[in-house]
Amino acid sequence: MHVVIIGCGRTGSALAVRMDGEGDQVSVIDIDNTARSRLPTGFGGAFLHGNGIHTQLLEAAGIQHAEALVALTANDSANIVAARVARHAYQVPRVLARLHDPAHAQAYHELGIATIGSVQTTVNRVVQVLHHLTLEPHQTFGNDETLLVRSRIPDYLDGRQVAELNVPGEIGVVELTRQGHSRIPEPTTPLEPGDVLSFIVAAGSIGRLHSFLDGKWS
Amino acid sequence: MTRVIVVGGAGLPDQVAAALRNAGDEVTVITGDPLVPATLETAGALKADVLAVLTQSDEDNLVISLLAKRRFQIPRIVARVNDPANEALFDSSWGVDALVSPATTLVSMIKATP
Repeated sequence: MHVVIIGCGRTGSALAVRMDGEGDQVSVIDIDNTARSRLPTGFGGAFLHGNGIHTQLLEAAGIQHAEALVALTANDSANIVAARVARHAYQVPRVLARLHDPAHAQAYHELGIATIGSVQTTVNRVVQVLHHLTLEPHQTFGNDETLLVRSRIPDYLDGRQVAELNVPGEIGVVELTRQGHSRIPEPTTPLEPGDVLSFIVAAGSIGRLHSFLDGKWS
Repeated sequence: MTRVIVVGGAGLPDQVAAALRNAGDEVTVITGDPLVPATLETAGALKADVLAVLTQSDEDNLVISLLAKRRFQIPRIVARVNDPANEALFDSSWGVDALVSPATTLVSMIKATP
C-alpha cells in the first residue's frame, strides 16, 4: 500500500522503515529537515521536508493515491489537521493520528479521527500488565476498550458450561482449544481439565474475568 | 454591543481585545487550552457573536475554529493565518467565516506602493 507518514521522529521513522521493509510505498514528511537522518541509507521510501498540512507537499508525497495516512507529529493540532485534510480533501481510506494530551481526546473524537499511542492507551496497558499478569491480551480493539485474552481454565471449573462464563456486555467466550484443536464452543459445552479458552473482555471487566479464573465468582 | 471572544495571547490578540473594548464591545480573552471543550464554554461561547482565533499556530487556529463552530454555532468566526501557504485551508469546511492573513495583507500593500 502507499502510506504517507507525517512526522519522522522515533515512531514515524520506525514505522516508515518497517513498512518499507514489508514492500509498502512510503512517503515521510517532517518539518525538520534533519529528521531524515533517522532513516537508514537503504530506506527505499521518500522523505519530504516541509509542513505536513501543505497541500502541495501532501500531493508531492502522493496523497491522491495514498491508501493510508498516519499523523505522528508532536503536536495534536497538526495531527488533527493533517488527518482531516487527508480524509476530507483527499478521501484517504485509512487515517490514524497520534493523540498526546488526553485532554484533547474529545476533540479527536468529535472530528471522527482514530487515535493511536495515546497516554490513556499506555496507562490502560500498564495497569493491565501490572494487575493481571496471567491475562496477557493477545489483541486489543478500538482504543483498547475491548481485549482478546486467552487462559487455561482452572480445575474448579471442570464440568461447568461455557455459558456460565459469559457476562453480557462484559465477557464472552469466543474460542476453545482442547487437546491442541481449536473450535467455537456451544454455550452448553462442558469444560474439561486442560481446556484453554479465548475471551473477548471489556477493559473494565478484566478484573472480573480474573476473579472467575481465580475461583472467586463475583 | 457585540460579544467577542478572543483566542491567543500576548501581542496581536491582546491588542485586538483592547481595541474592541475601547470600541464598546464585550470582550473575553481565553485563558486555558482552547482545544478542551470547557474552556470556550466558560468564556461564554454559547452567547458569543464573534470568535477571533488569533494564535500563532495555524493548526491550532483551524482546530479551534472548527470545534467552536460545531459545538457552539458561533455566528462569525475570524481566524488568523500565519503562513500564507495555509490560506486555502481557512474556509467554511474548518468553520472559518473570514480569515486575516497579516503577511498577505502586508505584501499586497507593499506591491501597491507606487
